[in-house]
Amino acid sequence: MELLKFMNDQDQQKQNGNILLKIESVSKAFGGVQALWEVSFDLQAGLIKGLIGPNGAGKTTLFNLVTGIFRPDNGQIIFDNQNIQGRQVHDLVNLGIARTFQNVEIFGSMSVAENVMVGQHVRTRSGFWGAITRVPWMVREENNIWNNAMEILSFVGIEDLAHRKSSELPFGWQRLLEIARALASNPKVLLLDEPAAGLNATETRQLGKLLKKIQKKGITLLLVEHDMSLTMEICDRIVVLDQGKKLAEGTPREIQNNASVMAAYLGMGT
Amino acid sequence: MTQELLQYLFSGITNGAIYAVIAIGFSMLYSSTELINFAHGEFVMLGALSLVTLWGGFGLPLPMAFILSVFGVALTGLVFERLAIRTVRKPDHIVLIIITVGASIFLRGVSMLIWGKDAYSLPAFTDHPPLDLIGARLLPQSIWIVFIALVCAILLHLFFKKTLTGKAMEATAISKKAAWLTGIPSEKMILLAFFFSTGMGAVAGIIIAPITMVSYDMGTMLGLKGFCAAMLGGLGSLWGSILGGLLLGILESFGVGIFSSSLKDAIAFLVLLLILYVRPGGIIMAKDVKRF
Amino acid sequence: MTRDQISYVIFFAAIVATGLILKNYFYFQLITIIGINTLLALALNMLLGYAGQISLGHAAFYGIGAYTSGILTATYGFNPWMALPCALMLAIVIAVVVGFPTLKLTGYYLGMGTLGFGMIVHIVFREWSSVTGGASGFMGIPPLEIGHVSFFEPRNYFFLVWFVVLLSFILCKRLINSRTGRALKAIHDSENAAKAVGINTRNLKLKIFVFSAALSALAGFLYAHMISFISPESFSFLVSVKIVTMVVIGGMASIWGSLLGASLLTMLPEWLHAFSDFEMVVYGLILMVVMIITPQGLTRGIIEIYERSRSAKAKR
Repeated sequence: MELLKFMNDQDQQKQNGNILLKIESVSKAFGGVQALWEVSFDLQAGLIKGLIGPNGAGKTTLFNLVTGIFRPDNGQIIFDNQNIQGRQVHDLVNLGIARTFQNVEIFGSMSVAENVMVGQHVRTRSGFWGAITRVPWMVREENNIWNNAMEILSFVGIEDLAHRKSSELPFGWQRLLEIARALASNPKVLLLDEPAAGLNATETRQLGKLLKKIQKKGITLLLVEHDMSLTMEICDRIVVLDQGKKLAEGTPREIQNNASVMAAYLGMGT
Repeated sequence: MTQELLQYLFSGITNGAIYAVIAIGFSMLYSSTELINFAHGEFVMLGALSLVTLWGGFGLPLPMAFILSVFGVALTGLVFERLAIRTVRKPDHIVLIIITVGASIFLRGVSMLIWGKDAYSLPAFTDHPPLDLIGARLLPQSIWIVFIALVCAILLHLFFKKTLTGKAMEATAISKKAAWLTGIPSEKMILLAFFFSTGMGAVAGIIIAPITMVSYDMGTMLGLKGFCAAMLGGLGSLWGSILGGLLLGILESFGVGIFSSSLKDAIAFLVLLLILYVRPGGIIMAKDVKRF
Repeated sequence: MTRDQISYVIFFAAIVATGLILKNYFYFQLITIIGINTLLALALNMLLGYAGQISLGHAAFYGIGAYTSGILTATYGFNPWMALPCALMLAIVIAVVVGFPTLKLTGYYLGMGTLGFGMIVHIVFREWSSVTGGASGFMGIPPLEIGHVSFFEPRNYFFLVWFVVLLSFILCKRLINSRTGRALKAIHDSENAAKAVGINTRNLKLKIFVFSAALSALAGFLYAHMISFISPESFSFLVSVKIVTMVVIGGMASIWGSLLGASLLTMLPEWLHAFSDFEMVVYGLILMVVMIITPQGLTRGIIEIYERSRSAKAKR
């Protein structure tokens, strides 16, 4: 099989086992509500890590801290040996953190291919003058952007839809498109906010396969999920949050057998 | 010196009270519909011109002319909501801005056809001589303006705090969805908001009529300044609007008195930019407490 | 040839043909004004249509271009071609200073912020009479010339303006079909997602605002040297609204829509003269009705209605 150009597997696989993202006793409060309290965990390169917990456990807050939307009140977030606190969202993408949204935020007025082309923003250069003058290197870059977009689309399995307007796609495909767009930035880590939400069982299974395939390319995944089935199936390790605190961490099997985790989930029935 | 400053203060409060009443109109509408009505100033103009016809022209007694004008304008506001706002298929803010700007031009055009291009002037509500306060002149009309503005504010406050309809409107303003779930007819609440908002516009036009030239093109600038006042105090809040209005009026009158009259119109917009950059919630930070 | 190139050739041919065939000077002037308005609409379309950021004060940049060049040439005796870069620079500097805090705002607040800026600039034109001539206007702006070609001649000015329009079309089209253009559209669709793919949205919004301001100032320069007399009323709030209307009626995010919108809005008052006193009523009504019926603008609206009627026929 031909090596995909857009992902540099060797480099990243060498680092497998290293700690890529380190969350160090991070706290965050909103008004009087303590959304996170001294949460710590590591994300090893090359693994799929799941972040689960009942509603209000602080999953989304943690997600937003890592992606730069909020700043932690206390604690540190270290990515690739750099403290990323206070970095702007777009800067983090440059460092290699890509994300998807819970409610799918694609660029609806653009075609599917264009969405993935925009996704390559951080690893392309041409700006205002390049666009106006159409110098040869800019035209070359534009061709590369297109080829990469097609390659990524076929990796995800929606290359046939390249010319469709993205807002007209069914929801499941939009989700795949969003993942394709995130991959286009050539990330080291991909953060997925409830990727299975709104998908039916078949689609969820396909998504699981795709995520495994992405892992094989050497990309680390952090997956926030409300629903346990996908997480248990594909994650290497799982962190459980409850009421802003870390409740447990371990392999899916360990988590399933953990009494306090089960209590947290059963207790949420009210 | 003191009497000069006092004079500035009087004229500032007078103008400020008018801005306050206009600002209330903006705020009420914004808090229940999230709409900025760029045609709001034209309802101020309609109020003033209606009074010209009813009081000056037909010679109706003033209180009756006052009430008829306010109701007439508020009904126009309802028609406006039904025909131009309700019918919008894509209620995106750019579309709504253009529609309300279009309505503003339309209303100005209609008024020009009805009342002509000439300016009218009206006598003060009562013909007392001006009062003399430590050498500064206080016009009776100024007292009327401040008095009526205060009465309106208090009545609105009582309406929102004491009546069921008022509370329902407040609820709609806080969360349209939640209000709808509890069975409050949000469509009626929106109509009511338009009714009150444009009615308040008319009140502003009526009380300002005796101290300015009344004509079909008087509304635009007044409307914009009323908006600046609302932003200054806190868009969406009753008392914020009043605070903003008075502050803007006083700033303007001192700015004109101390520096130059050419500054007059610029002050409001400088204040607007400043508040947008520094504190978009207004002095009272209305963004978090979007309610009356 | 690509579709774009074909359309440019047709456009070029249309300009040349109109310029050669037309005899009446009144029409030359009208069509030249349409060209200047097309530049304005194009400038705002880049900001509003593509990047999704409204400006209700764009007449300010139009005016800054016109007044700067007018004052430099008439009062200080600059050569107009030297005054042009000065005018553009001033517009750019002001756009950076104003855009930086203003573009943080969104929705109505952005509309109001730009409106406030436009009002202040208008008041400066009106009140700073020692420099701008005040409310009565500024006179004696010299016509343009290149070597022996005088643009005092309406036909020449017509060619000048429309070739500038053609060039701007090509530039804008190139900009849109590029990495930068895609990023702009991304901001319009979802600012959060745009940030999440690594676009520095603040920076890019500022850049396009500055670009748009410079293009508007260029239009102001062309206007001032054509009319030779400018007054604050040509750059008032209503003019800003008119520019927005051209963009919206012509079609947001459509280069050719700018041409359509500018043509319609420039011709409209000419047609409405027949209505004399009803002019404002009709103008206001048209704005409202177009926005209610086809909020996506006339170009798209007409295409949509056409497609709907066709599919309806197909069903039958």
